[in-house]
Amino acid sequence: MSFAESARPAGQAGGFHRIVFTGKASEYFGIWIVNVLLTIVTLGIYSAWAKVRRNRYFFGNTVLLGRSFEYHAKGLQILIGRLIVLGGFVVLNIIAALVPILVLLPTLVVLIALPWLVAKGLRFSARVTSYRNVRFDFVGGAGGAFKAFILGSLLAVITIGILTPLASRWVARYVGSNLRYGGKAFETDPKLGPLYKSWLLSFLIALVGLGIIALLVLMNLSLILPMIETPGLLTPEQQIPLIFSAVIGYIVLFATFGIAGLFYKAGVRNVTWSATTFDGQHQLMSDVSRTRYTWIAISNVIVTILTLGLMRPWAAVRMARYTWEHTGITFTGDVGELFNRIEAQGSAVGSEFMDFEGFDFGF
Amino acid sequence: MKGSILASDNAAIAAGEWHPAGSSRSVEARLIERAGEIAAVPVGGEKPLAGAGLSWVEISGRVGSIPRRVTFPDGSIFETWDNDGVDRYLAMRGKGGAGLVHWLEQFRLRLIVIVLLAFVLGGAVYRWGVPLLVEVAIATTPPIVPQLMAKGTLEALDQTTFSPTKLPDDRRKDIADGFARIAAQSPRGAGAYTLNFRDGGLIGPNAFALPDGTLVITDQLVTMAGGDTEMVVGVLAHEIGHVELEHSLRQFYRAAGMTGLIMLIAGDVGSAVEDVLVQGGGLLALSYSRSAEAEADRRSVELMAKAGYDPTAIARFFALLEEKLGDKSNTNILSTHPGTPQRKKDIIDYSRIISGQSDPDLQ
Repeated sequence: MSFAESARPAGQAGGFHRIVFTGKASEYFGIWIVNVLLTIVTLGIYSAWAKVRRNRYFFGNTVLLGRSFEYHAKGLQILIGRLIVLGGFVVLNIIAALVPILVLLPTLVVLIALPWLVAKGLRFSARVTSYRNVRFDFVGGAGGAFKAFILGSLLAVITIGILTPLASRWVARYVGSNLRYGGKAFETDPKLGPLYKSWLLSFLIALVGLGIIALLVLMNLSLILPMIETPGLLTPEQQIPLIFSAVIGYIVLFATFGIAGLFYKAGVRNVTWSATTFDGQHQLMSDVSRTRYTWIAISNVIVTILTLGLMRPWAAVRMARYTWEHTGITFTGDVGELFNRIEAQGSAVGSEFMDFEGFDFGF
Repeated sequence: MKGSILASDNAAIAAGEWHPAGSSRSVEARLIERAGEIAAVPVGGEKPLAGAGLSWVEISGRVGSIPRRVTFPDGSIFETWDNDGVDRYLAMRGKGGAGLVHWLEQFRLRLIVIVLLAFVLGGAVYRWGVPLLVEVAIATTPPIVPQLMAKGTLEALDQTTFSPTKLPDDRRKDIADGFARIAAQSPRGAGAYTLNFRDGGLIGPNAFALPDGTLVITDQLVTMAGGDTEMVVGVLAHEIGHVELEHSLRQFYRAAGMTGLIMLIAGDVGSAVEDVLVQGGGLLALSYSRSAEAEADRRSVELMAKAGYDPTAIARFFALLEEKLGDKSNTNILSTHPGTPQRKKDIIDYSRIISGQSDPDLQ
């Protein structure tokens, strides 16, 4: 055909390319506030369409090699998915409320259904995402999701966090290695060594937090002990420092575990992305600074709360810009050549209309 | 036809890239209107890559300035960053340009109106919308639901904690007679309530009401009251108040409504702010619990007065609590019940008001 010769993405040799994020806080502000307003006016129904506009904006401003990602889900599709999940949940809870013997039924069913819902949610998210007119796909099943998300979290909790890196590795392998683009596979295998290196710092931060709380308890021990022995003995005046300490302890717990979690999240992101290849030869990369990432996340929350939510669009754009601009991919060989060969493969096309969202998992 | 007058041959709409169906291969192209059809033409060529009448192509809605996609009936797509070009064309063809939602979203001064509307309506939904939905839910809940809930709860407690009452028959009869006197004053009538005596076991001195009007009082509470039947009746009147005002259903629906609200805006506020909202919601739920207790206290005063008892009998119960359990705690934002000294004072004040004396606080 006549266009065969000109068919090549403009000016893109192989080598390393960073993702560029082109979203602007002022532009997103309008989209965001209209989303919020219409969600309120429709008592929540519009939130499905709001999600579509939000994701279209963020995906559409995430640009690799001059071309953006695209989000294709439809509002109605998301609404139906949510209604199915919500309906099931309400029915389960009604049964549990009416028959107290079955009080654990919802928990049980959710635990059994969760891996399936997670796998379905990941597949949905992948299939409604495209780059250069080709959809992503996700081929992971419920078994893998059970191991990665339920078994992994369980192990992490039982071992008071010591096995968290193992859980992170399982999640990364499950999500990363089941991802497909145009029938070609992504492959992820983060090593435990770097994951533990990143985990250690977070573990120490969490220990510091627990240390502060232990100190608070120690300082108030003279008040706490009699309270346990004979409840109600304390006068209101004596209770005030106790309540004050409890509030401080709560904030310390929230803050240190939050910081530890953010540090860890950024570290895992770097390790995971940098251990991912596409089609066995193109290397992905992430180089976010853990300190900077944590600072952005925390200052975002503070600014958002102080401005009664009005700076949330700025915060969201700021975070997206930072993370995406510290993400890239090294292409082996000619990029134009590569994308000339990629074609959508069967199942990922169109079948997302029969999918429902299940659980929300953004990429 | 309007189109044929406006469109000169090959009216250019926008420049971008064209993809064959399902392929990442792209061709640099122009979108043009030619002879009433919209077509993608390669740069430097004339032979269209794809084309169709405007009503046969799908043009994605505008979100910010992310690329627009034009999908042709053959599945091929044309993608362009030139949103204004596409909008100009759509407006010219009477298709409304970028649409109403995008018009609202633009970062103009009029956004202030939308911000104010969002705050006012959000406040209104919280202040009136959720309570209204709670009332609707309560009104449409069939009576069988609270009955089943109560039956199940009592059965579960009987199996796990309670054992049959060990109170002497005449003591129970005294209390049951007093209970019948106040139950008759309730608008639901004496038949709406059943009084059960149980040995409280681990629960100790307590009395509670289930939503269908089943009341339970433990032997330990009756014993603690000594010979003061009137005081026990005052406590039961408080429980009747909970049933009349449907506090348990109301709290359940309110919690569900607030959780739903937070979840719906979750995507738009970020997960950290969502956590903060959930914590805040928990504190609010405690404040509702405190106001429900105060309402039930006032109802006790009213019922006791109507039945010819001492309206402040329940205050004697609180005095007893203070004495026996040393409960002198003040109200704080973390408690489910108001502080005992405060409750005693409120009860005495309220009984003065309903007995025609003026409010002592105003003297």
